[in-house]
Amino acid sequence: MISIKGITKKFDDYIAVNQVDIDIREGMVFGLIGTNGAGKSTLLRMMCGVMEPDEGGITVDGMPVYDNPAAKEKIFFIADEPYFFSHGNAVDMEQYYSMVYKSFDKAEYYKLLQQFGLESKRKIATYSKGMKKQLAVILALASRTDYILCDETFDGLDPVMRQAVKSLLAKEMGERGLTPVIASHNLRELEDICDTVGLLHKGGVLLSKDLDEMKCGLQKIQCVFKDGAAYENALSIFDIIKKEHRGSLYTLTVRGGREEIAKKLGQIDTVFCEVLPLSLEEIFISETEVVGYDIKKLILEV
Amino acid sequence: MIWIDYTDPTPIYEQIVSKYKNLIVRNVLTPGEKMPSVRSLAMELSINPNTIQKAYAELERQGFIYTVKGRGNFVAENTNLKDMKQAEILEKLEGLLRETEEAGVEISVLTDYINSRHKDI
Repeated sequence: MISIKGITKKFDDYIAVNQVDIDIREGMVFGLIGTNGAGKSTLLRMMCGVMEPDEGGITVDGMPVYDNPAAKEKIFFIADEPYFFSHGNAVDMEQYYSMVYKSFDKAEYYKLLQQFGLESKRKIATYSKGMKKQLAVILALASRTDYILCDETFDGLDPVMRQAVKSLLAKEMGERGLTPVIASHNLRELEDICDTVGLLHKGGVLLSKDLDEMKCGLQKIQCVFKDGAAYENALSIFDIIKKEHRGSLYTLTVRGGREEIAKKLGQIDTVFCEVLPLSLEEIFISETEVVGYDIKKLILEV
Repeated sequence: MIWIDYTDPTPIYEQIVSKYKNLIVRNVLTPGEKMPSVRSLAMELSINPNTIQKAYAELERQGFIYTVKGRGNFVAENTNLKDMKQAEILEKLEGLLRETEEAGVEISVLTDYINSRHKDI
């Protein structure tokens, strides 16, 4: 487990990360969502022990991580702009990383290079941006670390590559209990793969919850009420977070499980009604509106 | 054998549950047959293994599969499955009957339709 407690990081007067508390359990995919400048990369850098927090502490499997090789060895950080030796090729990178990470698997590395069609002797400087990202992912997977931190990794990959990487992550999770931490501003992507999701905004964590719990706890009802009395009845029965209507069609966001809500709906006189699942974006918007943030302005295109 | 529809808003694990239920009820997967391992299915579909785990737990809870420790998941005997499917269909029919009533359509329209199609099915 990666345990983040009371983490704060300031750059002069700018507070990049503000009192963050998060626990990342092994075997779970943790998604870190936030807009640009929310503090995701800064937080990830502190998580892998290369940046020192101003306040608070981070432990990896019980060991404090900052500047601690024993703990750092368990983590691989894939930066959003991967760094390679300026004149190096994939073989040079392997030689370096296999020195740094004791668990590095050379055979796996070269096998993956071949699978992805990357030439091991070609200068990395001549790789395309996507290929550089692919190489970074391959180095991460071959290092066989317990944790992989991905900083907007999927954003630079084409759809085929994305599926391939997800598939490899799934394999490693199944085979050796890899714990991926994925930072992104693409909700749609995270929605499909994450178990737990944390929303970071202006350095602070707005919420950090199990994805399914979030989805099970909120439902969207679209309905047309038979009459005013039915409408009033609905208002009293449901725990309504949000209410919108277009003409006679009401869209209500309510708290509760799907079956519970469906049962309650049976008691209301409706001309038409439907219970729909909420997308991750809708859930975030609802949850953060409750807290007081108008997240619609903050979440970028999905 | 199955594929995920990413445009469908239903959660992925629910899609897995319903698709496998379908295969089992139709006897495409037969009793005693081994289900794909969590890991191989996760790799094949490129999704989180925990999601598959959840789907399998749900399928087991509903009685469609069972787990043998150390060996994997297997399709359960389907003596009850047809009955369960029948109950599901009748429930949907109940919903349709309500709709019919609300729309002001005569029930005889439904029964005539069923009778005429009965010969074709």
